[in-house]
Amino acid sequence: MTEVPEPRGGSGRELGLSRHYRDIAGRRVLFDNEGFLWSADDWTEDLAAALGAEMGLDTFTEDHWRVLRFFREYYATNGRAPLNRQLAAGTGMRLLDLEELFPGGIRRGARRLAGLPNPKTCT
Amino acid sequence: MKVTFTLNGIPRQVVVDPDVVLLDLLRDEFRLTGAKQSCDKKGQCGACTVIVDGKAVRSCLTKVAKLDGADVITIEGLGTPANPHLIQEAFVLAGAVQCGFCTPGMIMAAKALLDVHPDPSTAQIKRALRHNLCRCTGYVKIIEAVKLAGEFLRGEKTPDELRPDPHGAKLGVSHPRPSALIKACGVAQFTADILAPGALELAAVHSPHPHALIKSIDTKAAEAMPGVAGVMTAKDIKGSNRHNYMVPDRPVLCEDRVRYIGDPVAVVAAETREQALAAVAAVRVEYEPLPALGSPHEAMAEGAPQIHSEWANLCLTQPQIKGDAARAFAEAGHVVEGHYHTQMVHQAPLEPEVCLAFFDGEGDDAQLVVVGRSINIHKHLAMLQEATGWEDMRYEEAYVGGQFGIKIDVTSEGIAAAAALHFRRAVRYIPSLPESMYLSPKRHPFDVKVKVAADADGNLTALGMDVVIDNGAYNSMGNVVMNRAMMMLSGSYNFPAVDARARLVYTNNPWGAAARGAGPPQVNYALESAVDRLAREMKIDPLEFRRRNSLRPGQSKSTGQVVDEWPFPELCDAIKPHYDRAVREAREMGEGTKKRGVGVAGGSFGIGGPNDQSMVAVELDPDDGITVYGAVADPGEGNDSMLSQLAADAMDLPLDKVRLVTRDTDHTTANGPAAASRHTYMSGGALLDAIRQLREAMAACGATTYADMQKAGVPTRYMGTRKTVVGTLDPETGQGPSFESQVHALQLAEVEVDTETGEVRVIRMTCAADAGRVIHPDNVIGQLQGGMDMGVGLALREEYVPGKTKDWVTFKYPTMKTAFDMDVIICETPRKRGSNGAVGVGEMTLVPTAPAVLNAIEDAVGVRIYDLPATPDKVKAALAAMR
Repeated sequence: MTEVPEPRGGSGRELGLSRHYRDIAGRRVLFDNEGFLWSADDWTEDLAAALGAEMGLDTFTEDHWRVLRFFREYYATNGRAPLNRQLAAGTGMRLLDLEELFPGGIRRGARRLAGLPNPKTCT
Repeated sequence: MKVTFTLNGIPRQVVVDPDVVLLDLLRDEFRLTGAKQSCDKKGQCGACTVIVDGKAVRSCLTKVAKLDGADVITIEGLGTPANPHLIQEAFVLAGAVQCGFCTPGMIMAAKALLDVHPDPSTAQIKRALRHNLCRCTGYVKIIEAVKLAGEFLRGEKTPDELRPDPHGAKLGVSHPRPSALIKACGVAQFTADILAPGALELAAVHSPHPHALIKSIDTKAAEAMPGVAGVMTAKDIKGSNRHNYMVPDRPVLCEDRVRYIGDPVAVVAAETREQALAAVAAVRVEYEPLPALGSPHEAMAEGAPQIHSEWANLCLTQPQIKGDAARAFAEAGHVVEGHYHTQMVHQAPLEPEVCLAFFDGEGDDAQLVVVGRSINIHKHLAMLQEATGWEDMRYEEAYVGGQFGIKIDVTSEGIAAAAALHFRRAVRYIPSLPESMYLSPKRHPFDVKVKVAADADGNLTALGMDVVIDNGAYNSMGNVVMNRAMMMLSGSYNFPAVDARARLVYTNNPWGAAARGAGPPQVNYALESAVDRLAREMKIDPLEFRRRNSLRPGQSKSTGQVVDEWPFPELCDAIKPHYDRAVREAREMGEGTKKRGVGVAGGSFGIGGPNDQSMVAVELDPDDGITVYGAVADPGEGNDSMLSQLAADAMDLPLDKVRLVTRDTDHTTANGPAAASRHTYMSGGALLDAIRQLREAMAACGATTYADMQKAGVPTRYMGTRKTVVGTLDPETGQGPSFESQVHALQLAEVEVDTETGEVRVIRMTCAADAGRVIHPDNVIGQLQGGMDMGVGLALREEYVPGKTKDWVTFKYPTMKTAFDMDVIICETPRKRGSNGAVGVGEMTLVPTAPAVLNAIEDAVGVRIYDLPATPDKVKAALAAMR
């Protein structure tokens, strides 16, 4: 094909869109561009612990596991993530406490550690 | 003034201003919402048609003041779902109801005709319904429905004779769609039909500039106007103010810069829509225009201004390399090159981008509810939560008046949700038609340089393509469109060598996103044009050339993916008798200024793309029926048929024992979009998986009923999943996983070209398609017909020109006048991985249409149009150049 000069129109970078594999907790796992698991089935407790360590959460307490278990069970039953009020009701915890419990808060922290994928776009 | 008239048999007295039109009186005062509004009350769409004194009238043009003593009948006066009129039954049983937005108007126009002409000809039907627009059907089934209604009314047939037995076979049978009758009776609630007394009405200020800095926004004068509750700008939005479909580049309301004509800048909320629109005109925005980048090549040029501070104008590049193309081109006996361009097109659903947002509950427990036209409610909910900073939210999909890809992304919902939060009130946003066009994405324009080569025996040997995609101002899913184009680049054919590249580029044009086919139609236009030219140059029959070069099981696509089923040659055989007849008729045409031509084009469209997942839950109900839970939007294609018929078949239930819960985020699984023709394959597959689990659980405990399951203590709800292969195209070679299955089509266009005016008339389109096992024949045929009509629009008429295309006339909407004859040939090769052998068909239907028409034009008059649409001016100019 005819070669066309390849200036990019400005100095910015290309769109950072790609899903990517990472080696973590002894496995190769696919993540989306926000760092959420692509498939909820890839989740294990070891993976959660490894992700937590990356976020500065070295030790999971029973409260952490209770939240993660609720997320997992809710997703398995309903096929979607719970709203915060459902999370609070299901764990018996206050939202402010939940936000503080996980680095990154509920969505980017707890939900990500629980391995719940983001709703899918057209792929 | 006071007016007395009869409405649906009931005497009415109303006191109205002289300018009030009947449509507003019906919808706003009598709450009769069967008459729809699409065209800003310009009389262009006919969706508001009612009968006045026996004549069909467009109620948007009919002044109430002139109705004294009149007899008015609306769709609600014709029949109800419990007691439908025969015409309403005819529309349902003929498969003429898809999205249903045009249906009430169509039925009223049909009634006025049938009251006078009980056995109308096609010409009479076309004339009587000439003011009524439809985007879904291509008008064929509407004409058939009117004829069927005539048969019913004349007593020659009855609905009961035609209605399939709901206890009989579920697959391969056109059972009435679950939603069809309420749409035909005008009682399906589209978003604007939902009563919201006290809701503030919204109107938006949009940028008149393609690229400019916002220096200031002065809202004082607007805020002081009657009825105005306030004006909202970007600073009033508490969340990210960004729609993050894949890249957080598109603001709900522009912050410091506008990037295309129509970018929303401010929102007025007022007690009435008229007050909001008046106040919009009083909002003063000071802009500093910037250089506008009107094409990808301008945007990629050295020194071009950067449209987004974070990202270069060249968003992405994807090469595709297979085999040794350079060598293949060097050794080829025949090579054809061409440079093709496709236009920007509006998807043109009839329903405007309406949205309603309100609070469900009070105080801290209030949930914000957004009602709109989404086809991916969970993804859109997540986007709205982030953009507005409000988490407790629910999205409800109302009935949707067509979408064709336009609702892949959030349009009006961000504005409505943010306004409800800002004003702490229920709000309703009914954008005008130009506003709806401003707010929504468009079909991406493609610039394609293509080169194809064949050996001396007429076997294709190499494909080269350089694809430049105008992404517009925001990405939305531009990267997906590009990848889809690359995954289907080689179309239906075997190209042993490929050297291609695609680039996706930000510009200051309206943003692109999904539009029926989303990428493949554009590249397929170039590919099928080039293949046709190569066949003609080699003096090989174009149909035979395609059959000879079809991909075969064991061969690979341009992605390197080896296919194990490819029933395209069979389509060539199926269409051959039609092709031979068409060629013969064209050659028999006498001398004159009107020349007949015949063209063919193929297409093989991927189904089940990599990295996809769907989840659907089923629950056994106390009456031993089942409820299906899944966000499977149905904006008109017939996903409700697909789910209910697959479920009824798998559970061996009558259709009325299958219930669907698909429309709100609080009760459904997050399931991905009603796009990419994916729901039959993905969600149908997940549904069957869920039912398999339920049946296994029942068998394991010996249960045959809900009561048995309860007694055994066994769960009654099961979650099914369907996943596709995971992986991406290699960034350097474009080799990698592609679609798990394919739907194939081959289309035959017969056109007549007026060599004096350049006008092209499509006489007939014939489509041979294979989408695996057919679940609902009428739905498949309806998709094929509607897609061909849309494809002809793409080929000959339709174009969105920013700032100029403002209504259905300037858009050149398809009408009864442009409608043409269609033949459909269905082949059924059950797909190994399909849902009971079925795959989707909604997009495939448009993929071959434009090249088939353009190939027919060349066959007729010897000129090739490289730049869509092939308007009379372009054809005439090409003819002049040839002479």
